[in-house]
Amino acid sequence: MTSIDIQNLTKEYGTTRAVDHLTFRVLPGRVTGFLGPNGAGKSTAMRLVLGLDRPTSGTATVGGRAYASLDEPLRHAGALLDAQAAHGSRTARDHLRVLAMSNRIPERRVDEVLEETGLASAAKRRVKTYSLGMRQRLGIAAALLGDPPVLLLDEPSNGLDPEGIIWIRELLRRLAGEGRTVLVSSHLMNETASFADHLVVLGRGRLLADTPLREFIHARVQPRVRVRTSKGAALKEALARHGYETVEHADGHLTVQHARVDDIGRLASNADAPVLELTAEEGTLEQAYLDLTTSEAEFTAQRSPTQPQEA
Amino acid sequence: MPFAPVLRSEWLKIRTLRSLCGALLAVFAVSTAFSALAGTSSSSDPEFDPLFTAFLGVGPGQIAAIAFGATAVSSEFHGGGLRLSLAAVPQRGRWYAAKIAAIGVPALLVGLVTGSASLAAARAGLGDAADGLTVGEQARGVVGCGIYLTLMALFAAGLTALLRSGVATLSVLIPFILIISFVIGDVAGGLTDFLPDRAGQLILHETSDSALGPWSGLGVTALWTAAALLAGAWSVRRRDA
Repeated sequence: MTSIDIQNLTKEYGTTRAVDHLTFRVLPGRVTGFLGPNGAGKSTAMRLVLGLDRPTSGTATVGGRAYASLDEPLRHAGALLDAQAAHGSRTARDHLRVLAMSNRIPERRVDEVLEETGLASAAKRRVKTYSLGMRQRLGIAAALLGDPPVLLLDEPSNGLDPEGIIWIRELLRRLAGEGRTVLVSSHLMNETASFADHLVVLGRGRLLADTPLREFIHARVQPRVRVRTSKGAALKEALARHGYETVEHADGHLTVQHARVDDIGRLASNADAPVLELTAEEGTLEQAYLDLTTSEAEFTAQRSPTQPQEA
Repeated sequence: MPFAPVLRSEWLKIRTLRSLCGALLAVFAVSTAFSALAGTSSSSDPEFDPLFTAFLGVGPGQIAAIAFGATAVSSEFHGGGLRLSLAAVPQRGRWYAAKIAAIGVPALLVGLVTGSASLAAARAGLGDAADGLTVGEQARGVVGCGIYLTLMALFAAGLTALLRSGVATLSVLIPFILIISFVIGDVAGGLTDFLPDRAGQLILHETSDSALGPWSGLGVTALWTAAALLAGAWSVRRRDA
């Protein structure tokens, strides 16, 4: 099984600890969203997995082996780290040919990935004429070149236009569906929610969460119900009598906290309030994420006076 | 990972950058043009050295060779380019060796062609003044020219790998070769004979009063280059990409 295994990984740059005793696995067959604010250590962790930076301690392996010890590594793992990495004076096709040649990947694959990423018609243009979105596609093409079972993509939707965002979402879903291991970092919450099955959340280099997306949201965001009626006052009174907390909005609809639609519908009917609108408001990843990072910030703020940061 | 595909990939990198092909062409064109020009100058100077006159173009031509070596390595340091290269070839020592070979071999071939062309162009102008040159001296000059230009390109390549910047390398080497070596060279005497460019260029002289001979001079330049390449290798292997 080709998973990414990170064991007690730590990386210090001078006195700052970018990655702090990180342990998690990224499993095949699903898209793992890699979340965290800027500077949380996502990119550093990816570089450590690829053997580009040396860990201070701990290990990171791809399919059980250190990336740097892999023979023809592009066939084992593909990565997009930085869309600016391609040299501007080379054509996109030459850029990919160079990478393919070093790992003995047939040149046919170069044309295939150019086709797959929608760059076939621009393949002979110099990379410096490319927009950010096109460079991003080229970076993804490079990651796909060796048809690898493991993919690490750092902010792949960056700079993509709306069609591009839909394309990457479908691509990620398909890659996971083919049984590949897909780790995608992002700080766009709604975007991540649209493709991830599982989440790994970092904060200040430490692991904050490693859970399925749905569980992550449900554990952190209480369900709410949105309801609108022509008899607002009557419904509010009935809700208050049953101990529900409500918020009234300017356009007249109510938000009922910690409630399910079934209960509120029945309650409205008993109160003789004609229901015009009744929907369950799903918690969003953004809410759940902010809830997590706020509690984390409080935790560290309370902790810091007594326990000054080591390192 | 086998070495041959890595080497082929590095060679393709050089061929697909116009600036690098341009630098190699400039080595040839500049050297040959200046040597041809030198061949038409007066040969009545008492210190006239017909062999060095024929290879006078190597002085300006080496700037292009240095630019070639520096740019070939610095092209890896554009916006995370090195990470992409090392993700494809994580064995850094192997990657670096392939890079150096892909710079050295074309530099040597261009250097040998440049040497032959410079000699031919200068002799056309020098006429009788160059008749005293033996075949051995001329062959030594052509081969020496090829090796010298290669060593300078590799010196710059190693320094660029160490400094991680082509601009830094060029701003060290070009003033050094154009000004310092040129101006203080005759004044200071002795030790300056061991500077990389002055030592190596002895191979292009028919006679010289330096402490070093033509081949030992080239050997000194080779030591400088080896030191720069080793420093570059250390940097590539040890530092985070």
